[in-house]
Amino acid sequence: MKVTFPHMGNVYIGAKFLMDGLGIDYVIPPFNSKRALEIGSLYSPEEICLPFKIMMGNYIESIERGADTIILTGSCGPCRFGEYAELQMKILKKLGKNLDFVVLDLPSDIGFDELKRRINKISSQSPKPKKEKYMALVNAYRIIGLIDALEAKAHDRAGYELNKGECKGLLNECKKKLLETNDPKEAISILKEYHKKMDEVKISREKKPVRVAIIGEIYTIIEPFSNLYIEDKLMEMGVSIKRTLSPSWWVYNTVILSPFGLTAKKIRDAAKEYLPLGVGGHGQECVGEAVLSSEEGFDGAIQIFPLGCMPEIVSKSILPSISRDKNFPILSLVVDEMTGEAGYQTRIEAFIDLLERRRRYVLSRN
Amino acid sequence: MKVGIPRGLLYYKYKPFFTTFFEELGAEIIESPDTNKEILDLGVKLCTDEACLPIKVFHGHVEKIKDKCDLILVPRIMQVEKREFICPKFCGIPEMIENNIKDLPQITKAPIYSYSADKFLNWAYETGKLFTKSYIKIQRAFDYAIKEQNMFKEGIDDEGFQYKVALIGHTYNIYDKFINMNLVKKLNNFGIGVITHEVVDDNVKHMEVKKLFKRPFWTFAREYYGFASYAVRNQLIDGIIYLSSFACGIDSVIVELLKLEFEDIPFLLLKIDEHTGEAGFDTRVEAFVDMLTRRKGGNLA
Repeated sequence: MKVTFPHMGNVYIGAKFLMDGLGIDYVIPPFNSKRALEIGSLYSPEEICLPFKIMMGNYIESIERGADTIILTGSCGPCRFGEYAELQMKILKKLGKNLDFVVLDLPSDIGFDELKRRINKISSQSPKPKKEKYMALVNAYRIIGLIDALEAKAHDRAGYELNKGECKGLLNECKKKLLETNDPKEAISILKEYHKKMDEVKISREKKPVRVAIIGEIYTIIEPFSNLYIEDKLMEMGVSIKRTLSPSWWVYNTVILSPFGLTAKKIRDAAKEYLPLGVGGHGQECVGEAVLSSEEGFDGAIQIFPLGCMPEIVSKSILPSISRDKNFPILSLVVDEMTGEAGYQTRIEAFIDLLERRRRYVLSRN
Repeated sequence: MKVGIPRGLLYYKYKPFFTTFFEELGAEIIESPDTNKEILDLGVKLCTDEACLPIKVFHGHVEKIKDKCDLILVPRIMQVEKREFICPKFCGIPEMIENNIKDLPQITKAPIYSYSADKFLNWAYETGKLFTKSYIKIQRAFDYAIKEQNMFKEGIDDEGFQYKVALIGHTYNIYDKFINMNLVKKLNNFGIGVITHEVVDDNVKHMEVKKLFKRPFWTFAREYYGFASYAVRNQLIDGIIYLSSFACGIDSVIVELLKLEFEDIPFLLLKIDEHTGEAGFDTRVEAFVDMLTRRKGGNLA
């Protein structure tokens, strides 16, 4: 059995060390590229959202490298993501690929026994004793938490750094180093080392950079390829960024907190005034985060979502009202496989310019 | 009190319920006119660009009647069946309307969970409160309305035509003659009868979807897939026409499921949006009809 999984930001790092810890053979799909997107779009339904297409590209590129089992998390509505597994399975089967799909749905939808059976399919392949399997899971969760935290730190500090590009450089260096090792313990020590290095980056708190919150559909804000590396672009412009949604945030909120009904409570409470009920996906979170980031003193927010994303269309209709009520600029960016980089870049630059000028002139709050 | 009922979205399905309910409570009902060019243009102007056509049309209907009534029905239909959903946009439609349209009268915002009478009654109380203080009166109006709705015969099942196709698509696309350019009549003129999913019993659909890997969590998906699967298996139809609105997330999944599953049956996907031209639409329907005829004649089959 050779396991693979679709890309989504730092997920591959967590998944890699989980499989390393379990001693299961795996393939990390090649990093998202134009090729992956092209192959993916070719075999996907025309009107499906962008994440589906990129994921298809990942699968096919992994299959070329020998993968035969795909692990995917699921959901049961109302957003389209829940139907991904069903469609992808059928399409790949039609393409003649002989594959196993392991879909990890929440137990509330498929029952604990079924979930256990599905997890067993993977874990029974592991030669390690039970205790080590458990440790592998714990370590992987720690690693994904650490890398997400490191990334968040880099995004925040990028605006304050004295030597331009240092944070970004450190982050990339760390990711590179992580790929060179196969030992979860070593990975943790690398991550700790880089956390320390990141703390030591020379910064100046007097700099007062533009601060922007990235909100919107979870896949397109986490997976840098799908949003045309917006975070790197912003870091280069010396903007300090916050993005709450991350793979570890998702695991914590969806897997651990959901049985208690506490998923993203703070964010959802903030959204109540504008959107009292969940609309699937992370539509309510998007609205809540817009409210929260305006209260936290950010200069603006950028919403990103794939074309046709149903929950985000609802939140997009609401964001202008928040923007008006709170005097808080919000830019909505829609991405799909046709998004042109130049036009996209121009819009981001114009938005950052607007935020900078608001500060200097009478329009500003302070 | 004057209650406005926009002729959009699931109006075509739940019209008896809503009109009876409000009438029993002593309201005067103001329905928006059938969809027309003006309503469509209003909707396109007001609504978020990325939304699908039916949502835009609904915006147009609300805009059209907003000055004439004191309360507008904006049904936030969350679930009509346990563990199933309608569509994310339905869950947020009151907010979309509120934020996109200015100077609105009051709108109904309470969520509708209609899979059990108890849950559904919450909506009735919440909305009925605006008319009367008496719970009994609301309860009675609700009971009447449910009765009325249950008597409502939906669906099309044409008899006496040479060919028969399954017309699949959302209620608000199939029964809105303006946005589908009177498709059913067009088909009938070509000698093609139409059968829609409401004709087939719900239990049958539940059985049919069991063969999918995952239980469909959209009511629409279960109904359409179950219906198509039943109709194909029992050879009730000569082909499938899927009427879909551009950027409908649910359709993008169901269409693909059907295409992957039923390879041997003629399948036509008609997509409508605010720019659809009638000529191109007609040509595609004609070509499909020609294909059906030739197939049956044995030329290409």
